[in-house]
Amino acid sequence: MKEDVSLRLDQCLLRFMDQLELLEEKREKLNSLIEQGWFCISKARYAMGNKQVSALQYSNEIVPQVCVHVRRVSNGEMEFGTERMDRGPSEDTTNTPRQVEEVGPVDEGVRRRKTTTAKDSKAQSNASVKPVAEEEASVNKGSPGHQDPLKWFGILVPQSLKQAQSAFSQVIELSAEVAALQTAVLVTRKELQTLMEEKHKAAQGKEKGKGS
Amino acid sequence: MAGRGKLIAVIGDEDTCTGFLLGGVGELNKNRKPNFLVVEKDTSITEIEETFKSFLARDDIGIILINQFIAEMIRHAIDAHMQSIPAVLEIPSKEHPYDASKDSILRRAKGMFSAEDFR
Repeated sequence: MKEDVSLRLDQCLLRFMDQLELLEEKREKLNSLIEQGWFCISKARYAMGNKQVSALQYSNEIVPQVCVHVRRVSNGEMEFGTERMDRGPSEDTTNTPRQVEEVGPVDEGVRRRKTTTAKDSKAQSNASVKPVAEEEASVNKGSPGHQDPLKWFGILVPQSLKQAQSAFSQVIELSAEVAALQTAVLVTRKELQTLMEEKHKAAQGKEKGKGS
Repeated sequence: MAGRGKLIAVIGDEDTCTGFLLGGVGELNKNRKPNFLVVEKDTSITEIEETFKSFLARDDIGIILINQFIAEMIRHAIDAHMQSIPAVLEIPSKEHPYDASKDSILRRAKGMFSAEDFR
């Protein structure tokens, strides 16, 4: 009985050590990727200006592009997996034609000189307002729900900011793995504790048996 | 919400938050409540703690990333959190490198190898 518990305890301890080693390895990778990301942000800030890469540039509407799927495994451990969400049909280049962004002022076409009477001009103004309103509505419908966060900082951002984005994307994926490992470590620790208690009880029972 | 998975929340300095938001973790929900907190010099510990607790209470958050130096300020709140969801990950910050001996998870794991366990 005691040998069986000791064997299980040894196996559990070895697993625990392996998990800790893996956690340390992933942590090191995570930390170096974060550092790389900061370095790229600093480079972008140097290129764009001190106040161009800050919290002030965050959009008013922020939609998540990454989510975590959490799943409980049979022995109590958790699995964390990241998933990138779809960027919406407007950003899908393969199926739909890309919407061309208009940079200049939006004009309604040719303007007429004020040569007509007041009544006519009223009727004209009503007629001209309607299509513009419709146009705006259609533009709003077509605007992407998921805006790339890179665009918060400008249309032409430096390469270093893109590198920062890719570094942090990797960090996000890695952080899910680290979170899963952390829970695994805690579960194994609990298992070890219960096994140790079992072993102590078995040892105490043996001593009592010898004494009597 | 149920179909799309959980969010990643961030409590960190400006560069950390900017980086993770660039990565696409940010969200402003219908009540205009963000899933991140940019900690500045004048941010109070109470505010950080309240935000952390509000993230713990939200069921749409799966992972909370927090700079280790900020985690040190609210260590009691982090140590009190025993559930596996949301998972709390301590990450380094620009001025403060990651110290494994301060990490609450590793300290818990280390705690089991006390002299008492081997008696």
